[in-house]
Amino acid sequence: MSSSDVRDVLNLSEGASGTRPNKKQRLAAPRPNLKGLAREVHNLGGDNPIAIVPEVTQFKKRRFANRKPASRWEMRSFRNSARNDPTLILKHWRRIEEKQSNQDSPAEELKQEDGTQEGQAPTQDGMEDSSFAKFNAQVSVPQYSDDQYAQTLTSDTWTKDETDYLLDLAKAFDLRWPLIWDRYEWTPPATNGEANENGDESKAIVPLPDTQARTMEDLKARYYEVAAKMMAVQKPVQYMTQPEFALHELMARFNPEQEKMRKNFALNAFTRSREEAREEESLLLEIKRILARSERFNEERRELYSRLDYPHAETDISSFKSSAGLQTLLGTLMNASSKKRKTLPGPEGASPSNPAPPQVPVQDSGRRESSGPSTGNREPPATGTPTTASKKGQSQAQQSPAERPKLTEKEEAIYGVTHHDRLGSGPTFRTEKINKLFSHKSNQQQLRINNTLNELDVPSKLAMPTSATTSQYEQLLGAVNSLLEARKVSDKLDGEIKIELAKKAEREKANAPPDSEKSKAQEDPSKESAEGAAATTAEAASKPGSTEPDDDEEEGDTPQNTTAAGAQTEEEEIGVEGKAVRPGSSGASHKRSASVLSTASDKSSKRQKK
Amino acid sequence: MAQQPLSSAAQPTDVYGGDEVSALVLDPGYCNTRAGWAGEDVPKSILPSFYGHSTATPTQNYFGDERLIPRADFEIRNYMNKDSVVEDWDVAPKIWEHMLINRLQPDKQTPPSKNGLNDDPKEKTQDGEGDVAMEETENQEIEKLLQENPLLVTEAPWNTPKAREKTTEVIMETWGCPAFWLSRTPVLSAFAAGKATALVIDVGGANTSVAAIHDGMVLKRSIQKSPIGGLWLSSQIRSLWETSEPKVTLTPTYMVENKTPVDALAPVQARLRHFPYQIHSSFRAYEEERVLTEFKESVVEVWNKPGRLNSPGNEEFAKTLPGRVFEMPDGWNQMWREQRFKLTEGLFDETAGYPLPEEERVGKNQTIPALIRAALEAVDVDLRGNLLANVVVTGSTTLINGFNDRLQNELAAMYPGMKIKIHAAGLTSERRFGAWIGGSILASLGTFHQMWISRKEYEENGPGIVEKRCK
Repeated sequence: MSSSDVRDVLNLSEGASGTRPNKKQRLAAPRPNLKGLAREVHNLGGDNPIAIVPEVTQFKKRRFANRKPASRWEMRSFRNSARNDPTLILKHWRRIEEKQSNQDSPAEELKQEDGTQEGQAPTQDGMEDSSFAKFNAQVSVPQYSDDQYAQTLTSDTWTKDETDYLLDLAKAFDLRWPLIWDRYEWTPPATNGEANENGDESKAIVPLPDTQARTMEDLKARYYEVAAKMMAVQKPVQYMTQPEFALHELMARFNPEQEKMRKNFALNAFTRSREEAREEESLLLEIKRILARSERFNEERRELYSRLDYPHAETDISSFKSSAGLQTLLGTLMNASSKKRKTLPGPEGASPSNPAPPQVPVQDSGRRESSGPSTGNREPPATGTPTTASKKGQSQAQQSPAERPKLTEKEEAIYGVTHHDRLGSGPTFRTEKINKLFSHKSNQQQLRINNTLNELDVPSKLAMPTSATTSQYEQLLGAVNSLLEARKVSDKLDGEIKIELAKKAEREKANAPPDSEKSKAQEDPSKESAEGAAATTAEAASKPGSTEPDDDEEEGDTPQNTTAAGAQTEEEEIGVEGKAVRPGSSGASHKRSASVLSTASDKSSKRQKK
Repeated sequence: MAQQPLSSAAQPTDVYGGDEVSALVLDPGYCNTRAGWAGEDVPKSILPSFYGHSTATPTQNYFGDERLIPRADFEIRNYMNKDSVVEDWDVAPKIWEHMLINRLQPDKQTPPSKNGLNDDPKEKTQDGEGDVAMEETENQEIEKLLQENPLLVTEAPWNTPKAREKTTEVIMETWGCPAFWLSRTPVLSAFAAGKATALVIDVGGANTSVAAIHDGMVLKRSIQKSPIGGLWLSSQIRSLWETSEPKVTLTPTYMVENKTPVDALAPVQARLRHFPYQIHSSFRAYEEERVLTEFKESVVEVWNKPGRLNSPGNEEFAKTLPGRVFEMPDGWNQMWREQRFKLTEGLFDETAGYPLPEEERVGKNQTIPALIRAALEAVDVDLRGNLLANVVVTGSTTLINGFNDRLQNELAAMYPGMKIKIHAAGLTSERRFGAWIGGSILASLGTFHQMWISRKEYEENGPGIVEKRCK
C-alpha cells in the first residue's frame, strides 16, 4: 500500500502523479535513517514524511576517558580548631594525592603544601584542620566587671545575677531573641538548687509559672541598655566612629513600649477573621468611591451656584407689571445681554431668561461687567460710582443676614474680617494701595503732598503698613489732599478777587481817564479775551441763575464732594491753570469744569473697573 | 552529549556542606526504632520497638520483626513508653546495640576461641538457631566496634533530663563512642524538609506533637503533645468494628491456618490454628495491630472536602462516595463507606469519631487544630507568620489519604489572613523517617563537627554536659 492507494481511497486528485518518480528518488536518501517503522507506515505519510527523531546508532561513550589506575583514597584523621575541645579527632575519606603515589617519600613536603592550598591548614602535629572551622562565628556580648556594674549598670528591676544570666543566654543563643525569651527561666539563686534537684518533667514542657515573667521587650531593653552603656564606657560617645555611634544611638534609644504596641497591632492583624479582612478591603474601596463622587458633586454644586448667582432685586418690580413696563424691561435686557455677550460666553449667555435686575440700564451693565469675570466670587460686585457703592452697601446689608450669620464689630476685629467693595485677584501689598494714591497725582501734586507730609514729620513711605496704619495713612492723605484742594480753591478765589478788584479799579479809571485803559490793554494783550469773558461772567453774575456755578465752586470745598474733586484733580489743575492764565473767563471755565467733572468721573470709574 | 559523571579520581575542590565522618544515627520511637549511617537517605535498619521476651528460664529477648512468632511463654514488650521516652533501660541498650552493631557493622571475624569451630559439640547444639539474643560477654568487643563512630541520637522534645543523662552514659560508658549528640525530633524533621524555621506537625504512632522551630532550635514553650496518633486511630477502628452491624471480629493472621473466599458479609469459612501452648495477650495485640495497620493503609481516609464531616450535608455526601472493601485475615469482607472518614474525624474534631473508653478519649485542646493554635500562641507574634508559611508535616499517620488537604483547610479557617504553606514530603519513606533523615543530614555536615560532644568533654563534665550543650 502506497500513498497513491491512500489517495485513491480518499478520492484525492492524482495531480502530482507526474512528480512521483522524482519524489521516490528524493525520499530514498533519508529513509535508511528512519528505523523502527514499517515501510508501509512510512508510505502513509505521502508527501510529508513522518517526523521522527532519527535513531543514532552509536554505542555508549566510555565512562572514563583516562586509562589511569583508579585513584586511591584513604581514611584521614583531622581535627576542628573551632571546637571548644580541639582534641577530638575524627576521620573522613580523602583522596591520596597523585604526586605522592607517583613519587616516593621525598614528596611528603609537597603533599603538605597541597594540603594548605586546599585550605586545610595543617596543625602543629601535621594533622589537617577541618575546612569548616572557618565558618565558626560567634557573637560578642558586652563584658563588664563588678565595679563597672556598680557604677553604671545598676537597675531597680534587675539584679546583677539576672543580668549575668541574660547575657549568658544571649551568648548561648547568638542573640536570637525568640529563643532567649523562650528559654528564659530565671530563678533566684536561693531556690535554684532546689529546682535542679527536682528536675521534674513538667519543667521541660511547661515553664514554671513565673510571677514576674519578663517579656521579650524587657529582655531586649535590658540587654541594649547594658550594651550601650558598656560601649560608652569603653569609648566615650564623642570619639565613636559614625557606625559605632549609630549603633550606640540605636541601642540607647530602644523603646520597649513602642515595640509592645507594634506587637499588639500585629496580634490584631493576626487574629483578624476572613470576614473582617474582606470588610476592611471593601470599606477602603467604598471610601475611595465616595471621595471621588463627592468631588464631582462639589464641582457640580459650585457650577450650579455660580449659575444661580444673580444680583437680587433691590427695587420692587411693580413698575414692570404693566405692558409698557415690560417693553422697557425687554429693551434693557436686550441691551444688557448684548453687552454681556462680550464678556460672558457660554451658559451665562442664557441669562435673559433670568429675572432681570430692575435697575437703570447703565448701572446694571456696569455691575454685570464687573461681576461677570468673577463668577466664583459670591460677594456682591462693586460698582463704579460712589452713589451706587453706597447703595450696594445697603443692599449688602440687606442680603447678608439671609446668607450668613452676621458678625458683630468686635468679632470682626477679633477674626480680622474686613469688608471690601472690590478685591483684585491675587495677593496685593498694602503699600501698593498707598503708592497708587501717589502715582495717580501729577508730579507737582506729589511734590506738594510730600512737602506737606514733611511739614507734618510723616515719612512718605510707611515703615510698618498694617491695615490700621494704612487706613490712617489713607485718611491722612485724603486730608492732605483736601487741604491742598482747599488751598488751591482759596488761591483761585484770592486771584479772582484780585482781578475783580483790578477791574473795578480799571472801571473806575475808565470812568476817569480813558488812556490808562488802553495802556493796560497793551500791557497784557493775552488777557484781553479773558477779560472779555470775565466781563461777561461778571455781567452774568448779576443775574440770579448764574450764581449756580459759584455755588458749585463753593461746594467743592465741602467734604461731601472731596472724593470727586480728588478724582478729577488733573483736569481741575488744567482748569485752574487756565483760570490762572485767563482769570477773566471764569464762567466758561466753570462750565468746562462741570463737563470735566463728568468725564473725569467716567475716566476714574473706568480706571477703577480696570 | 551526556553529562560526564563525577569521576572518582577527582576530589571536589569547592567547599560543600557535607563532610562525612562515619557517624551513626539512631532514632528511637514507640513503634519503630531507626538506625543507619549518616549521609544516607533511608535508615538501613528499622526494627519494631516491640521485642519478644521469653519468660521461660533462662529469660531471653528477641529483637526484630521476623523473630516475633508464636512461642510458648512468650510475650511482647516495648522498651519505650507511649510518650516516646525510653522506659526499660535494661533492654534499650541491647536493642540499640543489636541495631547499631549487628545490623550495621560488617561482620568481623570472630576470634578462634569463640567462632564455635573449637567448641564442644554438646555446647554447640544449644544456640544452633539463628535467633540468639545478644550476650553480655560481648560487651568488650562492642566497645571496640563503636569506637570509630560518632553517634547522634534523637529524642522527643519532652524527654526528661534523667533519660538524657542515661542515654549519654550508655553511649559513652557502654559503647565508647568518640563523640555523640542528642537532638530533638522536631528540629530534625524540619532539617529533613530543608528548613531551619518551621512549625513541625508530627503525627506519629503513639502521639502527635506540634512544635515551633526557630533557627534550628525548638521553642520549648511551643511544644504541644497529644495522644492522638496511630494507636488512637487503632482504637477508633476497634470501636467501629465493635459497634458495626454485624459485629466484626478481629482474627489476626497468625491464627488462620487456611480460608476460603466468601461473599461480602457472609459467614467466615476458615480453619483456625491451635497452639499447644498459651499465646500471651500481648502477642495477640501486637498481631492485631498489624491488621489494623493494613486497614489504616488501605481503607481509612481523612475528610478533605470543605468544612468538617459533621457540617450539614457533608455526611450525606460522604455516603455517596465510593467505598472500599477490606478483607480480614479470616476471609470476612465488607464495604466501608462513610465510616472510613469518621474514623479520622476525631483528629480534628473532638466531638466526632467513634466512642472510646474513658482513658483513651481526647479532650477539646488535644485535637490537631487546638495543638497548632496553642503552639502558635506560645511564640512571639513576629514569628507566627513565618511559621505558618513553613508548616512541616511528618509522621506515618499523616500518610492517610487526604490528611494534608484537611490540614490546609483547617489552618486556612483558623488563620484566614495569613499565608499558609504546608511542606509534606512526597516520598512515604521521607514522611516515615523524617527525624532520622534530618539527623542523617545534620551528622554529615562539615560544620557539625564542632558541635559533637567529645569523650574528653564527657569525662571532664560527666553526663550533665548533655543538658548544657544540647539545648
